[in-house]
Amino acid sequence: MQKDMLVASSLCVSFAQHKVLDNVSFEVAEGEVFALLGGNGAGKSTALKAFIGAVAPSDGDAQVMGMSVTKDIKKIRSKVAYLPESVMLYGHLTGVENIKYFLSLAEISKSQSEIEEALSRVALQPEAWNSQLSNYSKGMRQKTAIALALLRDAPVLFLDEPTSGLDPSAIDEFNQLITTLSADGTTVFMVSHDVYGACQVAHRIGLLDSGKIVGMFEREGDAHIDTEAVHSAFSNRGQA
Amino acid sequence: MKVITQIMLDEWRYWLRSKLGITVLAITLVITIAAVIVNAMEMRQAAEERQTLQKTAEARFLEQPDRHPHRMVHYGHYVFRAPSPLSIVEPGVDAYTGTSIFLEGHRQNSAMFAEQRQSSGMTRFSSLSPSFLMQVLAPLFILLIGYASMTREREAGTLSIMVLQGLSRWHLLLGKLLALMGAGLVILLPLSIASIGAALQGESALVSAGFILGYFLYLLVWSALVLAVSTMSSKSNSSFAVSLGIWLLLCILIPRIGSSVAATVEPSLGKLESDFAVLEALRKLGDGHNAADPAFEQLKKNLLAQYDAESVDELPVNFRGVVAEYSEKKLTNVLNQFAEARMEEERSQANVLRNFGWLSPTIAVRSLSMMMAGTNVETHHRFLRDAETLRFDFVQSLNQIHRDHLDYKTDMARSKSKASSLAARVSSDNWSVLSEFEFKPEPGTQRLENSLPYIAQLLLWCVLVMVMLKYTMRRVQ
Repeated sequence: MQKDMLVASSLCVSFAQHKVLDNVSFEVAEGEVFALLGGNGAGKSTALKAFIGAVAPSDGDAQVMGMSVTKDIKKIRSKVAYLPESVMLYGHLTGVENIKYFLSLAEISKSQSEIEEALSRVALQPEAWNSQLSNYSKGMRQKTAIALALLRDAPVLFLDEPTSGLDPSAIDEFNQLITTLSADGTTVFMVSHDVYGACQVAHRIGLLDSGKIVGMFEREGDAHIDTEAVHSAFSNRGQA
Repeated sequence: MKVITQIMLDEWRYWLRSKLGITVLAITLVITIAAVIVNAMEMRQAAEERQTLQKTAEARFLEQPDRHPHRMVHYGHYVFRAPSPLSIVEPGVDAYTGTSIFLEGHRQNSAMFAEQRQSSGMTRFSSLSPSFLMQVLAPLFILLIGYASMTREREAGTLSIMVLQGLSRWHLLLGKLLALMGAGLVILLPLSIASIGAALQGESALVSAGFILGYFLYLLVWSALVLAVSTMSSKSNSSFAVSLGIWLLLCILIPRIGSSVAATVEPSLGKLESDFAVLEALRKLGDGHNAADPAFEQLKKNLLAQYDAESVDELPVNFRGVVAEYSEKKLTNVLNQFAEARMEEERSQANVLRNFGWLSPTIAVRSLSMMMAGTNVETHHRFLRDAETLRFDFVQSLNQIHRDHLDYKTDMARSKSKASSLAARVSSDNWSVLSEFEFKPEPGTQRLENSLPYIAQLLLWCVLVMVMLKYTMRRVQ
């Protein structure tokens, strides 16, 4: 049985009097790709932020690899990788320089060949490795950030709207990359608006509405999650 | 420490690769080096001219032919003071007061009653001295390269990656602060080299070190301040606007307000009012050129009684010389009273302005800089007093020659004919009355002691901005 890497237990997050997350509970197993879908203001980014300690739970708990965000946030942060919606890294540095710099901040030492191997693994064209990031497309920057996460040996990857702003071929490449990472044992937690993309890549999808989980969809065998079913639930949320 | 160094080095790499960073750094450095070189050349030229003029003035005085001694009193003499070695970088009030004085009978040097000029505020824009560059332009340089230090990370999303990677916020800020300080130190380098050069030319090593340390603290204050603003701001443009506002307030407005407040709280008479007040007081003393002036009647009576004489003709001394000597003494006392009052006003104004150092680090470092360099108003006043003592001794020496070496009757008949005019002269051998004038700055330890309040002001600013930086650390997420 695979162990749970992420656990939300009756997780509540409130800002002032407003409850953004209301009694949310789910688990994400090792190597699983879990997507949290929802409309604007549903609370999906807040849920992600709760796991990385950017917001504090007002009630309940969020655990990463068995560690509570309220107690062990420093340890958690050293184990996970987070890619914000707009991954910029440093425009004045090359892809390789960016990776080296951010690894040095995490006090991780990797050889040039290991860095190149990671960049190959995320399918970043070798001719781009030594050009400045200011010349990269969003997809290329995202690949660089994922290569950084791989080199940090982060077992859990948090992605915030990862396919937003990517062209269709970049989305396909991204989905392929996530699938590969998952197969290698990396746990992926992503929040997204993109129903189709999430269905392509996720093992499970949680549908969030007004801070509550209103639906949970799961792959059956090797088939992707039924896009129609999720789309229908997504469109009809709040009408029950 | 390795992480802090990495952050610092990357900041430098960013400045070097971004055109703005390297351009601003290059321009500021070139201006600072140029200012140091130009000032050093001007100082050297002025020192050579001063030496030549001093020798020429002495030689001309001594070359004067046989004359009536009082004509020599009005011939006058120049004295020059060598500025302190550190004035190469901090001209202070010397830029306005000058370093030469004309000594003449019956009047004090022109600088003494010159219209007071503030040594702060906008007037300093006229001189592009290295100290001015450090005080006003170096913060602007730090602002230009540092305003986006943190907002850039926030806008690029790298800040959240760093924080979520477990990077200590304190390490991040410290790395950024060290990078900004490093850039500041590059700008400080020409001034530091000039200060070390000053130490090699005889300036106290303690003072030179204190001078550099003062500017180091000043740059630390600005680096931390700019970084704190950048940390608190969510956007680079708002960080720039706020930093620029703070720069305008601390470097331009508060020094200007300080000058105005000093002039209001400690008002001083203008030149015309001063001149009228002095003239009114002097009129009561009588005319020293006229021995028959009623103001000297009592002096005459006392003298006749002392020498048991019936008339001034019988006196063993020249009564006109005695009157000149007596009159000069009285006149000098009155002038000194006015001068002391004036200097007290200037000192009080300077002190009011210096207290504004608690509100502006620019004023704090300026006060420290001038105090350390010995180009402050107190040093100028000391020079004026020393020069006045020299003037008084010089004039009284000539008056004594008048009194003892020229017969009264001959003196009184000096205007009757050319022959009598020639007779009313004394030998030029008497002109060796000039004392050597050497003005030295206060000892280094004394200047350092005088600078302690301004070091305290700068240290308080350091503590304040560090607390501010610590407070803003919460915004790093």
